Amino acid sequence: MTAPALPLAVPLPRTDPTSSLRYFLRRNPRMIIGGAIVLVMLFVALFAPFIAPYDPIKVNIADALVPPGPSHWLGTDDLGRDVFSRVLWGSRISLSVGLISVSIGFFVGVSIGLAAGYLGGTFDLLAMRVIDALLSFPALVLAIAITAALGPQIQNAMIAIGIVAVPGYARLTRGQVLSIRAREFIVAARTVGVPPLRIVLRHIFPNITNALVVQATLSTAFAILAESALSFLGLGPQPPSPSWGQDINYSQRYLANLKWWMSAGPGIAIFLAVFGFNFLGDALRDALDPRLRRSG
Amino acid sequence: MTQYILRRLLLMIPVAFLVTIGIFVLVRLAPGDPVLTYAGEDKDPATIAYIRAQLGLDEALPVQYAAWLSKALTGDLGRSFQTKQRVIEAITERLPVTIELGLTALLISVVIALIVGTLAAVKRNSVLDLLSTGFTLAGVSFPNFYLGLILILVFAYIVPGRIFPPGGFVPFTTDPFENLRRLVLPALTLAAASTAVNLRQVRSSLIDAFGQDYVRTARAKGLRETAVIARHALKNALIPVVTIIGLQVGAIIEGAFITETIFFVPGVGRLAVQAIPAQDYPIVQGVVLFSAVSFMLSTLVVDILYAVLDPRISYESAKA
Repeated sequence: MTAPALPLAVPLPRTDPTSSLRYFLRRNPRMIIGGAIVLVMLFVALFAPFIAPYDPIKVNIADALVPPGPSHWLGTDDLGRDVFSRVLWGSRISLSVGLISVSIGFFVGVSIGLAAGYLGGTFDLLAMRVIDALLSFPALVLAIAITAALGPQIQNAMIAIGIVAVPGYARLTRGQVLSIRAREFIVAARTVGVPPLRIVLRHIFPNITNALVVQATLSTAFAILAESALSFLGLGPQPPSPSWGQDINYSQRYLANLKWWMSAGPGIAIFLAVFGFNFLGDALRDALDPRLRRSG
Repeated sequence: MTQYILRRLLLMIPVAFLVTIGIFVLVRLAPGDPVLTYAGEDKDPATIAYIRAQLGLDEALPVQYAAWLSKALTGDLGRSFQTKQRVIEAITERLPVTIELGLTALLISVVIALIVGTLAAVKRNSVLDLLSTGFTLAGVSFPNFYLGLILILVFAYIVPGRIFPPGGFVPFTTDPFENLRRLVLPALTLAAASTAVNLRQVRSSLIDAFGQDYVRTARAKGLRETAVIARHALKNALIPVVTIIGLQVGAIIEGAFITETIFFVPGVGRLAVQAIPAQDYPIVQGVVLFSAVSFMLSTLVVDILYAVLDPRISYESAKA
């Protein structure tokens, strides 16, 4: 008679808690690059008053149109204002418009999407027609039209870009809710009498956050680009506030004099900010939402 | 097919109706009283009341909307506050310029995307592929107004001989060569972002197609590689590309607002941008309506084209 076989316990090798993170980051270099750019941008925006070597709006005619050099890294404009300091301060406007407008779009769009997807019926039909109507406008044209109507101010630019972002969130959320609402755990929650609002907020919403995080990152990139375009057209913050788009517009008059540095700083800053959020968004999409993964 | 098109057109009606409400509300939200703008120096209350009545602005909002919509449907979008020109005339006389710029940009975008995208997919992981991937990443993130300024700086001011002028427009009928010369920089600026998107789509669609059984079969029966690519892979890979290209029409419309402003191109986009600080709302309203309708129609054309190109999509199932 043989003794009953005991379950064999195989000791697992001790794992370094950071090894999985390192593995993840090695497989996602885009996340590191995009995340680093975004973090640097946020740091610059937060600490611009301490980092900027000069007052961004102080006029100093004696130093007008100085090319880039040791005293002014990115040169000065025609009023002697330090371009580097204006770029650093400009990041506050671009990032705050980006983040606030995305928050507006997120809150409104996700609310509409959750309600339309869960309730269905007439509300869904009407809400989606409104979303279709918003999608009928080219995004930037709609942002220009709204800002022009409300008046050229930074708050209005935020509202305009936020409204433009609403359809993306609403459609994405609705689609996700439709795919989740028939799942067993939702049916079970409904069967035991959980109130609809609680089902939506506690059971459905946490299951769609991955896709929404990706959308929020990518739409921040769009929001920064849209803000700079509105500012370029004179529909954003007004002078003398430092703003990337507005500063590029202002530099146009000195283009024929080859004063290229006036626009180089703000132009590269816009590119880096948009690139960082796009890169991070793409990497997050690959990591968090495999169904949306790009081919090739 | 006709039924499908009719059905799509019918579905557009409620959306178009909401679009018109949106535009009407936007204009009514605008700061300042258009009557005061219209009256100019004359601040006499009787004159102002008369103008208000003439413009129909003393009526209730729904009545004003109904009146505006019924006129808009007949092409009457009002008159510019500044020039007193009819809005529809102001748009239509600038439209050929915008269309020429937009089509040139679209052509540049499609040609570059097809050639470079195909080569990048065929020679995957080559230097060209890496460069094209870098371009697609940078292209979608680069602000087109800054790109426009760089092109002006380089080609109009730094390169000797001013190969391309910094801006302006000459009609094709007046001087075809000068027309094209002045079109190059704005068209390249307008095309950059959509080229990046199209290139990415062509490359990834082709890479997908290369992994399909029909391509393996084509290779197995001994077809030359160029024939496999052109007659089999590319033909099928282009179906999703058509959708992306169609969606680029919207990007080109909005890009025209900025590109025309930088290069002083007298198109519809610049008309709107100049009308905004002047609070010339009928012009802004007209251009935005025009942009929305063009975008809706281009989306419709893409949907129809998609159904024509891809035999797997049946009109019957599309009805469901």
